[in-house]
Amino acid sequence: MKSVAEILKEIRPEFDFTASSDFIADGMLDSFDMVTLVSALDKNFGISIPGTDIVPENFQNLQTIDALLRKCGAQP
Amino acid sequence: MISIQTPPQVLDAIQTAKAGAKAYCTNFFPVESKLQSWIDHGELSAEWHPGAAFFFRADRDFRHFYFCAADQASLEQGMASSSGLKAGQVVTDLVGNEALLNQLLPGLETAGFRKHAQLQRLARIGRPETSGNTPEVGFAEKGDAPAVLSLIESLFDRYGEQLPLPYELESAVNGRQVLVVKLAGELAGVLFFETQGLASSVRFWAVAGKFRAQRVGSALMQYYFQIQPAVRRFTLWVDAHNENAIQKYRHYGYAPDGLIDHVLVHRTTL
Repeated sequence: MKSVAEILKEIRPEFDFTASSDFIADGMLDSFDMVTLVSALDKNFGISIPGTDIVPENFQNLQTIDALLRKCGAQP
Repeated sequence: MISIQTPPQVLDAIQTAKAGAKAYCTNFFPVESKLQSWIDHGELSAEWHPGAAFFFRADRDFRHFYFCAADQASLEQGMASSSGLKAGQVVTDLVGNEALLNQLLPGLETAGFRKHAQLQRLARIGRPETSGNTPEVGFAEKGDAPAVLSLIESLFDRYGEQLPLPYELESAVNGRQVLVVKLAGELAGVLFFETQGLASSVRFWAVAGKFRAQRVGSALMQYYFQIQPAVRRFTLWVDAHNENAIQKYRHYGYAPDGLIDHVLVHRTTL
């Protein structure tokens, strides 16, 4: 199983996701990347992130993504 | 079909389609601010089908079609019974890599869509070296908006290239996202961009016919790079068959990043 950081690195290898506290505001993930990320997280962790949780605040940084995964029953 | 009034309605619809999805598929990637703007301007409506939510966005005399579906079968069944697809002119974009699009395309063609254009995304990683003075380039002013829109509408495909509506362009001008060159009192060229943090996208780069071969386009692009010192990722969409444009972008370091957009029009539009 890949880590969230590894998945992010695959989507946008040019950015250092550990150095940002807000991926969206920093332009590191665009709207297409968000959908790609949700799909990758669903597959990797065997969950289904609810559509109502696909909002920018849940994808701001590694901590918020981690919290979202735990809420969805994953063990990141 | 109902008119969408709030962003949560959209999220709820996505949730309905996504719940229990085995092979979720979508072409709906709304940026929050744009979603709110579409709702504020009464442009967004929706219809629901088992396992699928469809959204329609009004644009000039046609509508963009977006889908969120639990799987391909739900998408195809929804399209077969959609009233929205049968009412007026409808255009849609299939965005993704080639393999994904080849899976979805036959279903949309069965539902009455036909290929209209193909765009590809180009990306440039890292800020380019820039040189030379570009004194003729400046930010568009409010009074420039009609001429800018007219130039964009005259040179780009309204179905395929997400042309801005007048209110969007006015907002972009106010937000200093539109660069212009004026020569002899006329609009010679325009570069419309959107920057968010470390990423920036060129939406339109155009030079009026009578001002071509006068380095107007080059001045616009140089100036654009000069005013984006923090940006690390530059992107844009280009007609995949427009070799002339692609060559120009390659000159500035852009290269395909693997993302493709098939622009499809419904048979009622043809």
